[in-house]
Amino acid sequence: MEEKTKKRKKWGGVAMRKKAVLLSCILILLLPLAGCVGKKEISDLAIVMAVGIDEGKEAGSVKVSVQVARPADARGQTGAPAGQSGEAIWNVEAEGESIFEAIRKLSSISTRRIFWAHNFIIVINEQVAKEGIGGIIDFFSRNQELRMRTKVVITPDSASEIVSTATGLEIIPGEAMDKLFRYSAISSVSAQSDMMELLAAYLSPSSEPLLARVILQKMKVDSEKAEAGASLKQIELAGAGVFKDDKLVGILKPEEMRGVIAFRDKLDSGALIATCPSNPNKNTTVELDAPSFRVEPTYHNQEIRFKATLDVDVSVVEAGCSFAINNKEQVKTLQNSVEDTLRKQIMTTVNKVQKDYQADVFELGKVFQNKYPYEWKKYKNNWSEIFSTTNIDVVVHSEVVSGELLFKPTESGKKEKSKE
Amino acid sequence: MTNNSKEKQFTNHLTENVKMIVDILQQSVDFVKREMVFHEQKQIKTALFYIDGLASIQHVEKVIEAIMYEGNELIIRNDIEEDSLLKLLDKHVLMNSSFAAITELDKGINAILSGDSILIVDGCSKAFHIQTKGWDTRSVDEPQTEQVVRGPRDGFTENIRTNTALVRRRIRDPELRIEAMNIGARTKTDINIAYIKDTVKKGLVEEVKKRLERIDIDGILESGYIEELITDVPFSPFTTIMNTERPDKVASALLEGRVAIFVDNTPFVLVVPTYFWQFLQASDDYYMGYMAGSFFRMVRYAAFIISLTLTSIYVMLVSFHQEMIPTPLALTIASGREIVPFPVLLEALLMELTFELMREAGLRMPKPVGQAVSIVGSLVIGQAAVQAGIVSPFMVIIVAVTGISSFVIPNYSASYSIRLIRFPLLIASGLLGLLGFSVMFALLAIHALSIRSFGESYMAPATPFQPTDQKDSLVRFPWWAMKKRPDLADGDQQKLGENQKPSPPDPLAKKQMKSKNENSDISSRKKEEENGKGSSAAANSQAKGKQQAEAINKKETAQTSSSFSNKDEGKLDTLFPVNQPEEQISVIEEGVEKDNAAMEKQQLFLQKTRNITSASGVKRWKKKRKKGKNGEG
Repeated sequence: MEEKTKKRKKWGGVAMRKKAVLLSCILILLLPLAGCVGKKEISDLAIVMAVGIDEGKEAGSVKVSVQVARPADARGQTGAPAGQSGEAIWNVEAEGESIFEAIRKLSSISTRRIFWAHNFIIVINEQVAKEGIGGIIDFFSRNQELRMRTKVVITPDSASEIVSTATGLEIIPGEAMDKLFRYSAISSVSAQSDMMELLAAYLSPSSEPLLARVILQKMKVDSEKAEAGASLKQIELAGAGVFKDDKLVGILKPEEMRGVIAFRDKLDSGALIATCPSNPNKNTTVELDAPSFRVEPTYHNQEIRFKATLDVDVSVVEAGCSFAINNKEQVKTLQNSVEDTLRKQIMTTVNKVQKDYQADVFELGKVFQNKYPYEWKKYKNNWSEIFSTTNIDVVVHSEVVSGELLFKPTESGKKEKSKE
Repeated sequence: MTNNSKEKQFTNHLTENVKMIVDILQQSVDFVKREMVFHEQKQIKTALFYIDGLASIQHVEKVIEAIMYEGNELIIRNDIEEDSLLKLLDKHVLMNSSFAAITELDKGINAILSGDSILIVDGCSKAFHIQTKGWDTRSVDEPQTEQVVRGPRDGFTENIRTNTALVRRRIRDPELRIEAMNIGARTKTDINIAYIKDTVKKGLVEEVKKRLERIDIDGILESGYIEELITDVPFSPFTTIMNTERPDKVASALLEGRVAIFVDNTPFVLVVPTYFWQFLQASDDYYMGYMAGSFFRMVRYAAFIISLTLTSIYVMLVSFHQEMIPTPLALTIASGREIVPFPVLLEALLMELTFELMREAGLRMPKPVGQAVSIVGSLVIGQAAVQAGIVSPFMVIIVAVTGISSFVIPNYSASYSIRLIRFPLLIASGLLGLLGFSVMFALLAIHALSIRSFGESYMAPATPFQPTDQKDSLVRFPWWAMKKRPDLADGDQQKLGENQKPSPPDPLAKKQMKSKNENSDISSRKKEEENGKGSSAAANSQAKGKQQAEAINKKETAQTSSSFSNKDEGKLDTLFPVNQPEEQISVIEEGVEKDNAAMEKQQLFLQKTRNITSASGVKRWKKKRKKGKNGEG
């Protein structure tokens, strides 16, 4: 018996090669089997720019109104005509038992798939807000398409009307509403509130949500009917709404917003009207530059106190009376006047929020937790009661820094002559 | 390809030899046989064979002249008698610059077919192989495919000897070796392998030769044939062998330790081994300043990435991930796509194919027409397509930018391969979005990383990361900073001498040198002061100082070069004392010592005061120290 000394080749031979070729052909043909899974053509999308949530006609139902952009009208076309009708947006609304159902109903109206990823703003009616926005927060956080930087606002008017109004300078009103908040820190009439902050405040054990507020005001003058004055409605920023848990408990007026913004966001330059140092009947307008605001918690003898310090640089932008910046007394008087006014403003807000609403929108709980984490554990369960009774001292320092371009008072030269 | 004639050798009889040659080459109208009679007295018959067109008529006529006339005259007049006819012809008759005596018939046939002539003499058992090559070739001109703004403008031609000469002109190193081979059974194309012996890695030349010898093909018409036959990765879209038309590129490659392969009848020379990033480097980078060169190189890298991925990314984002596009841009894209009936992938493929069509058509058209059509064509077709509603205007922009970026790649064949790679990437991203794009890109990247080009990793010096090689990859460091040859070279690693960074002359050293000269030459200065005025003396001494400095330098260089006669040596010694150079050095050394001492003092001070944070603190410390010292002292 001869031993098979010659090893049989494992991977060789014509048959083997044929099998390899066949296998690779099959594999290559398998690749296109996937097709274009998950493909959505951009021209098959209804890109939502703004969403409004109202109460429906029946009790317990919601009405969702949606502002969809029409790309051909929004951007113009250089190529073939694309059916431009002149309207940049297409607004529809639908009702349903829950938000999700209402949105499903929308798809029965819309010829394209509703696409939330470019949504700018969510507008919630105050009635809905008073009953609780927990469901809204939940829906929009779960949705994978929605961006967490979408703005969320409340309104006393109908959200459907707000969402359908053409407002501002932008082509698409949703974008215009989003950009309204760009300079909100300067006007200090509204806070910035987006989905992420709302969610963080809602989930936090101490802080409460605060949502910006918009209203419709007749401010736009129709250029063709100029004699009628401001006849068209435009969207205006108007304060904020204070929430407790998820229910709206109160409104803060625009004048009261400075205090809230100081605690939550960063104050930007703001304007203030103070009385003239030389003439108490006239007013001086000052601009508050480079404000720096600090809150420090103190904990003595089981007592929580907060001390807030605000330092501002004051520049005189409009003097209704004679004001010379090198007159030290006048400067001092002005400084005191500014400090008083500011302090009063902030204290009004603080008292209102503390006593009337008892909702910690100032995020003071977080401030306390940061400095005294062990003591926080004792108080975190009943923070809202403690917040309403703590002492919040506000101290304002101001320094007149510049008179903008003018150094000497703007006075009529004739007065001097007569003096002589 | 039978080798019967290999064994055959020339015989003594002319008629037999002639018959052998004519049998093999048969009747061709350009195959010429010229019979002559040599030596008036002895009447020796000779026959000359050459191919008309390949052989230069001047050289051939020189041979004929030598045989029929000049040689005869020489022998008769000078009465030269040689015993062997061979020696006679070899030493006294033939007047060509190079010839050899051959015995095999095969070699003779090859010689005739290469353009040389074969001279057969009755009674001689060897035939003469005379160099008579000379045919019409293209003159050395600017290379068509690789044009530069700054740099030499000579390019290779189809003549292999001209090509090697162009490279030899640039590298006058005796270590530059050029070896010859013949490849192709029927074409017997000349192949020359060039390398610099002490920079090439061990085994590289042997590997190249081995691969070339392995080739068994009937004809090599272009270096592209050889490229495909010796490549490391026959199935890959990446080219692992660089081909170039520029001699300065070949010369710089040889200096880096690479091997060049010249192929006859083509101006494209192969260079191995190759890195992928070489295809993105142009000769311009090296000749312009290093800042401009680096900038344009980065532009080229960006263009490479754009040409590879821009269309795929656009298709992927617009088909699958619209949320990634910023909102205003998304609306613009959507507005463009409103009326287009095709999905984005199809539109992209259509536009890409149209662009390739136009480019290819522009290549084939005759020059004057081609330019106009390609520019006008692309503009008009693009605009017309948009107006007709077949494509969106955004797509036209994307495809145009991609196309232009692909032309930025300097190496023509590399740009082809990159264009090829674009299509699978595009299809994958159009089918599966970001997943498809990333998988296909990963596949390509893994494939590229696994390739080797003649032993060197294809993606070096990026991976595997060689820190010494980074000076020429992303940016080009100045020439005075590139000290070593790249890692692929072996042997002589040092490229640059010491202290090559240029700088203006140091005024401090010059002053010290000058003052030293003035001090040492006090006797001559005193004399001058006695003679001339103060200012002129100062000016004179300054001038003299400069002169002395120059003379010292001259003396030093004169000492190092050996063109220095003993007669002059003594003279210079009296004018400029010999010990001056050492004193000059000692002055500089003193200065250096002073610097070192000052630096040490500074460091000590810093250490002692490291805990003091303000200037007033330092003042106080100093005061205290002073007090302490005074107290002690």
